[in-house]
Amino acid sequence: MKLRYYEDMNLQELDVMKEIGSIGTGHAATALSMMLQKEIRITLPEVSVLGYEEAVNRIGNPEEIVAAVLVKMGGDIDGLMLFLFDLDFANTILEKLMRKGCQEFSGLDEIAYSALVEAGNIIICSYINAFTQFVGVDIGLSVPSATINMLGGILTVPIAEYGYETDKLMYINADFVMEGRMLSGWLLMLPDIRSLNDILERLGVAK
Amino acid sequence: MKLTRGEGRIITYALGSCIGIAFYDPVIRLGALLHIMLPARFGTDDNNVYKYADTGIRETIHKLTAFGMVKSRTVVKIAGGAKMFEISGNSDFGNIGLHNRDRVRQVFAEEGMRLVAEDTGGTCARTMVLDIATGGVLIRTFGRAEIKL
Repeated sequence: MKLRYYEDMNLQELDVMKEIGSIGTGHAATALSMMLQKEIRITLPEVSVLGYEEAVNRIGNPEEIVAAVLVKMGGDIDGLMLFLFDLDFANTILEKLMRKGCQEFSGLDEIAYSALVEAGNIIICSYINAFTQFVGVDIGLSVPSATINMLGGILTVPIAEYGYETDKLMYINADFVMEGRMLSGWLLMLPDIRSLNDILERLGVAK
Repeated sequence: MKLTRGEGRIITYALGSCIGIAFYDPVIRLGALLHIMLPARFGTDDNNVYKYADTGIRETIHKLTAFGMVKSRTVVKIAGGAKMFEISGNSDFGNIGLHNRDRVRQVFAEEGMRLVAEDTGGTCARTMVLDIATGGVLIRTFGRAEIKL
């Protein structure tokens, strides 16, 4: 019987999604590592099914300004990939790629902004490549879109996208650790319910 | 939806594609702040009335009326409905904000209530504050000075 809501997932199904999170984020970490020429590890992934307010509070504060890169997935799997990161993470990338960070997000020039979008896109694509291989699916990705905005506002986008199907969304995330320091970047994979059922079936865990 | 009277402030944070709706009856200093996420409810067994513009606005009017609100003197101000992401080749993605705004305007027209001010659209998320003592509405956005509606 297929899942109707993300919160109906059982432990085994959650574990499978954690596994996917691990593999995807692991590959993204490798890409990030090559970009920064530094060793990057990942923490154990977490899979949470959260309502909008819980999700915002889990990640930070609603009015906090963060950068976000979004890619829409289509094909065998429909959904969104969202990579959220703070100024500190942005500067870690900028200092390496451009030898120069910025004091505030509002100080970013066009070139720096593009560099961040591109970095986000590379991270997202690495995740998806690993994911498609592991699950055995084909996924088409949209051109990346980005914004620098309040965290709470950004998270209304996936909620609105799936809002008619559900109140809660499944967030799969693992953190990046560079030289013992946790980087504040959230890499979220948000498949829709139909796709989630498909993934679980392909991996042999469907009920 | 939060409702109060007399004094105090009600705040709704980081409205992205959502619409924040401030209702204020100046004679009895009664106000409410509603935060809707989608234009219209489809399933009648969906209990989240305040999530949708149509059921949310109507239920709020119902509750406020029970507390003595008179529609004809009540002032309504809205904010939000931003489009934060633009995906080239997929121009409809992220338009939910504008759909929300359009539906909100339509519902108030149907209810015969005046929508006196709005700060909607654009690309930035907004925080909306309603001051119950005065009925004043403040909008905070990243990269822009605070504005009063």
